[in-house]
Amino acid sequence: MPSRPDLVRRVAAGVALTGALGLGALGWGSTLLGEYSVMDMGGGQAGHVHNGATGPGAASTVSVTGLIADPLRAPDVRIELVARCQTIDIPGGRPVEGYTVNGTSPGPTIRARQGDLVEAVFVNESVAAGATLHWHGVDVPNEADGVAGITQDAVPVGGRHVYRFTADDAGTYWYHSHQVSHEQVGGGLLGAVVIDPAAPPSNQHDADAVALLHVYGGQHTLNGRVQDEHVPAGPGTAVRVRVINTDQGTAAVWSAAPIRVAATDGHDVNGPAAVEGRKVLIPAGGRLDVTVQAPAHGSARLHVGGARSITIGDPGSGAPPSRQPSDTLDLLAYGEPAPLGFDPQSPDRTFDYVIGRRLGLIDGRPGNFWTINGQLFPDVPMFHVRQGDVVHMRIVNESGEVHPMHLHGHHVVVLSRDGIPASGSPWWVDSLDVHPGETYEIAFVADNPGIWSDHCHTLPHAVDGLVAHVMYEGVTTPFTINGGAGNQPE
Amino acid sequence: MRRTYSAFAWIIAGGVVVQAASIAFALGGIGRYVQDGGVIDKALVESRQATFTGDLGFPIHGIVGGMVIPLAAVALLIIAFFVKARGARKWAGIVLALVALQITLGYSIVDMPYLGLVHGANALAVLLASVYAARRIRRSATAGAEKTAADAIAT
Repeated sequence: MPSRPDLVRRVAAGVALTGALGLGALGWGSTLLGEYSVMDMGGGQAGHVHNGATGPGAASTVSVTGLIADPLRAPDVRIELVARCQTIDIPGGRPVEGYTVNGTSPGPTIRARQGDLVEAVFVNESVAAGATLHWHGVDVPNEADGVAGITQDAVPVGGRHVYRFTADDAGTYWYHSHQVSHEQVGGGLLGAVVIDPAAPPSNQHDADAVALLHVYGGQHTLNGRVQDEHVPAGPGTAVRVRVINTDQGTAAVWSAAPIRVAATDGHDVNGPAAVEGRKVLIPAGGRLDVTVQAPAHGSARLHVGGARSITIGDPGSGAPPSRQPSDTLDLLAYGEPAPLGFDPQSPDRTFDYVIGRRLGLIDGRPGNFWTINGQLFPDVPMFHVRQGDVVHMRIVNESGEVHPMHLHGHHVVVLSRDGIPASGSPWWVDSLDVHPGETYEIAFVADNPGIWSDHCHTLPHAVDGLVAHVMYEGVTTPFTINGGAGNQPE
Repeated sequence: MRRTYSAFAWIIAGGVVVQAASIAFALGGIGRYVQDGGVIDKALVESRQATFTGDLGFPIHGIVGGMVIPLAAVALLIIAFFVKARGARKWAGIVLALVALQITLGYSIVDMPYLGLVHGANALAVLLASVYAARRIRRSATAGAEKTAADAIAT
């Protein structure tokens, strides 16, 4: 029989333990997301509004489903894309389980001319979790953005969805699923998009090749093959190689021969100089168009990613591999300055996007998660804008890893890095590597109404909370995440 | 409690051995993979699909170094407050401080690779401190027991 003080002590300890467990359970339970809408995210003020453009005042609202390309216009390019869960044949390597589009991965390259209306009919034949298509880098109308739970429901097995957009900007892009994207993109539900200019380009080239990089089951591939490629070209011929980094990490491009960076993320570089003895880096999700001139004799080798390369020139001769240069081309000071087409110095909105990391719970899952402006998902900022706003954003990486930041539906121009202003060609991107300790100042014009993801394209990082959104005033979405439609965009 | 204290100190010491073994295993695997024509880049690392012999060494090093050893070191210090032996707290504190330094060094290596030199050396300090903590508490326990027995006989 315990003594009275002993009994009191035991009861007190029991109450304390029960209380602690109860509070713990409550705290854990409060992080569970359940079904939610992005409309309910971003309680806190994310930025500063200038020029008096404040307050609610949108009399009318529009759903994302109404933000579409001209519905009466007949498509110039029409393609059916069928997604399947199946074994992918990897020429030169071993087959892996993954996802295909029209039976292959990468899927077919979609080619259009600037100004064309593209209509892609997407059919999900056997992707159990549902799937979508996101047009990475193409500034499509919001309804066609393909983000499950924001602009549409994931297309279930047997379902279809029609994507329509005008190919306004010539350049190199790609498409990929934006449903359970870390798994489906890694698994190969993707393909290339090339939009040829309406008029001949300023950066003249004679031939053109796509170099889509992807790692399948640990195998580095170039256009789906564990093989290098050769582009036959006569001496002096300039070949534009469109390198697409569909992987989760930065890729390097280099050559012993001089190369020029013709475009970044589908935007031509103005007055690109020859690059020698330097590598050029492509962020995850980014694209880089490089022109290589076939030499007078033999061929030139362009290394694309660490493992694959393309030779350009005489088909009969090879070119030896070259060592990866330790110096990196700084796109902040590459090419010749040119007008931006808007004034970034007097922004209507100013936002901070500060990336950090800390231990915590997201959706009841413990982990070392990414934070945005110090907050864990879903308490991340919502970047509210109004159509026509000039938006200024400061992206700061206070974490220890590089983050390829990708804004949907817009191209942003880099203004400065760590206080050093951009001094070369306007550096337009939709995917920007922000290294640990770096601060980028970027600007864009809010000219494409909708609700747009602004996330890290190392896709497992987005799963771990590195995703925020740009939301236009007056735009709503009827779609939800984690609901009956099974939408899980990340 | 002395037994528990000693057990946790030995867990830390054993953890250091696992750390050295796992990272050597992983680096050996990388050497072999590269020699056979494999390429390791950010694309492969972030794909989380690396499949070479030894790649298991990295997650083992991460889990044991980032979770098992630090948790054991914290537990050792907590247990030390219930152990009636001189220096138990001091040595648990030293072990925890060395472990904290080791983790900081480990997470900073990518920023400053030269810290790897200190990280390797400090691992030996963690090993020696934890082995000493484990042995001295058992020794003082034995000494204490002998003393009690001697006192009993004297009485």
